Amino acid sequence: MANSVNISIEAPIENQIQEITYDGQEIYQAPLSMSENLARLAQKIDFSKTEDEFCNIKKEGESSSDSKSEDENKEPGYQSSLWPWDSVRNKLRNALTEVSVLADVLSIAKEKRYMVLDPVQPEQTESRPMVQVYGRKKALGAAAAVLLAGVERLRASETMRMTRNMPDFHIDLLRLRQNWRLKKVSNTIVGDLSYRTAGSKFSQTGVFEVTKAPEEQIAQAMNAAGPVPSALRVTVPPELQGVAFISVLCQKEQEDVVTATLSSAAINCPGTLPGDGAELHWQQKLEAAQNVLFCKELFARLAAEAVQLDASIPHMVVGNQIMATVLPGIQLLIGLCHNNGQNTNNTNPEGVKPESATGKSDHDHVLEHSLHQLLRAVHHANTHHPFPHPATGPLGPSKRRCLAGPMAADRYELLDMSKEQSLLEQIIQQAQHFFMRRRSEYVLDTIAKEVKDPLIVSHWNALNSPTQSCVKINIMAYGYDAVCRTSLVVHVGEKTLKCICRDGKVRHLSYELQELRDLIYCQIYQHQMTAVQAVGRCMGWQLLASSSHLGSGPVEPLGNASSCLLASPNGDRMLAIRCEPSVGIQVYIAQSPRKDFFTSELVQDKKWEHLGGAFKEIKLEKMEGKNFLNKMELLMACLSSPS
Amino acid sequence: MGVTVLQQYPVPENKTGTYVIELLTKRILALGASQQGQFLVDCESYLSHPQMGTTKTVHIFHNSEQPASVFSILDTGSKNIHVIADGLFDLLMMKLSQHYTSKKQTKIESKGPRFELGDFCIKLGSVTMNQSFKGILVEVEYRPCVTPNAVWGLLREFLQGFLGPSVMVQAPQHLVSRMNEIYTPIDTIYQYLEHFSAYRKITGMRSA
Repeated sequence: MANSVNISIEAPIENQIQEITYDGQEIYQAPLSMSENLARLAQKIDFSKTEDEFCNIKKEGESSSDSKSEDENKEPGYQSSLWPWDSVRNKLRNALTEVSVLADVLSIAKEKRYMVLDPVQPEQTESRPMVQVYGRKKALGAAAAVLLAGVERLRASETMRMTRNMPDFHIDLLRLRQNWRLKKVSNTIVGDLSYRTAGSKFSQTGVFEVTKAPEEQIAQAMNAAGPVPSALRVTVPPELQGVAFISVLCQKEQEDVVTATLSSAAINCPGTLPGDGAELHWQQKLEAAQNVLFCKELFARLAAEAVQLDASIPHMVVGNQIMATVLPGIQLLIGLCHNNGQNTNNTNPEGVKPESATGKSDHDHVLEHSLHQLLRAVHHANTHHPFPHPATGPLGPSKRRCLAGPMAADRYELLDMSKEQSLLEQIIQQAQHFFMRRRSEYVLDTIAKEVKDPLIVSHWNALNSPTQSCVKINIMAYGYDAVCRTSLVVHVGEKTLKCICRDGKVRHLSYELQELRDLIYCQIYQHQMTAVQAVGRCMGWQLLASSSHLGSGPVEPLGNASSCLLASPNGDRMLAIRCEPSVGIQVYIAQSPRKDFFTSELVQDKKWEHLGGAFKEIKLEKMEGKNFLNKMELLMACLSSPS
Repeated sequence: MGVTVLQQYPVPENKTGTYVIELLTKRILALGASQQGQFLVDCESYLSHPQMGTTKTVHIFHNSEQPASVFSILDTGSKNIHVIADGLFDLLMMKLSQHYTSKKQTKIESKGPRFELGDFCIKLGSVTMNQSFKGILVEVEYRPCVTPNAVWGLLREFLQGFLGPSVMVQAPQHLVSRMNEIYTPIDTIYQYLEHFSAYRKITGMRSA
């Protein structure tokens, strides 16, 4: 009646169940070996049946069948327990005896001297046809009554369904069967929603039961407005009911561990799914239960790893919370929130308190998603082995490990291969990277805000991995970006930063971001010095000397002071620029011939006035110009003009 | 993986192998090396069945430095063919026992302490065949380099330094023609094959 629907049929992959323990775990029988299977099948052969037929053919009334039946009675008593093939052997031996006796009899009968074969009139059985007819009629009548009653019931329910426009149980079952694994166990239909077939190795089972919904409820639901109710009822075990999710949050470490756990336990769990348990559509219900199972597996795995890993600061597992230190002072909290939906108060077994909103604590959706992804990757790896599979040899080691033998990998490489990162380590790394990225962003933004001259522009790469990202920083002055710009690249890792500067030097910084701040400041002052030299070149000034690491002056807290000396095109004026990261930029000017040259007794000759006089500092802040380079350009321009 | 040189150390008259090993250990420790476990290189030879034509020998080697690998060298008389495989190769040889029979009495191995000294890795092996002591092999590896030519001078100096002037340090026969090629683990095995073959030929201890 329905359109053609694809139904996949699979043989049950499980072996026969030997025993079901109280916690629902099934103990399977080991499959039979080839020889055991053969013995079992041989046991099943019904030798006596053929023997009887054999006897009928003989018609000689050999008394062997009587003695045989005695043998058979004896055999199972004590002999069959001795050896599995014993009964088979005995039966074959008896058959051989009979066949030899028959051959003897036949050969004697052929001589026709001692024995003659005469046809014997078969014994007439008393047949009373009417009795048989009555008997058969009665039996057929009983069978027909059963069938008719069944048809009547089916027809009644079908018509009732049609008249009341109720959903069809079997169509629903068909739909369920398309998406979920079902099997029939005696009178009930059970399904499995666990991820075992997808590669999960979690021990908890996800068995659910499918039943027919009571008609009154369907009728009730039909009357109420809303979607068409289903004729199916899905019963999920109580530990998988409700809603669950993994909450991930990062927070500042608190002095007291107890307060940390208390406040962090206040993770708000969303209530039940919309709609009450019974009215919920089976698809949503099963999906929710599957999600609960997945979250439980994820949390169980993380908790096991947290206990096993020996970190410098040990991870803590308290109740349904895992605490791990990401960076000094920052904690990662991973919790399992499971709201059973049966009771909104604290009585549910998972112990999650749906507390009043103490804080919509910043649950990290990205990290939660990463956790899900990581576990799914583990599942995928469990079922997808790299090709080619060896015909002999173990299945499961990575491709690198498969090649290790033929490539003659040494012990260090093998040791390296055996290391496997656990989920917890990976998620901690991702959290560390997240913090490093956020802190570097903050540092760069604050520097860009503090320092107006020159401008600091940072470009974050949009494409990055969960544990690595990259930012390019450009330092330039407004209006002079064509003259000079300094760029550097910062790779943000998990616990370290790698800065590649313009001169090709690579600096590795720790997670203390003061280091990044200092580095950027040094780069800014270095940029100012190179930029002023570039401007000088444009203006036709001559660079007399420059040093990026001056040995004179007070010791700088970060970096060294740098300086340069520029001479005007006709050589009569000199500019000295000194740049100290802690003080700023100072500009001095000297001119020759010096105005205040007077011959003295020591220096009598007039020519010495060309040596240039003492340097005088310029008050930069009083000068015109938008920024330092602009001021320097104006200064050079006015000093270049002949005085 | 670096370059390895295998050197035979003659055992002086009326001295035991353990005495020599202890002596060399003392010298190496005095240089500042630290002991890093033990090592073992063993070799088992299989002879092909006479029905298969000319007799060929298959040498199966295991080296504790490459624990996942089995090295095999097929000696056809005219040339050597090597195959590096993983541990299942041993099982394969058992299946081939109809065609290749193991000469149990020639099973030979070199084992002893393993030292690390900076970039050098030194192994002092006492060679035994059928539980009888045959001699001493000293293996020195220089790990940062892969071409023998570039490092042979350094290795010779190092070997001469702690073995003493009484020992002639010469480039291994196997390496002479391959001085400019990249060194691979099978080259170490070839050197062991050379020395093990020499040990098998003579009865008693090998002096030079």
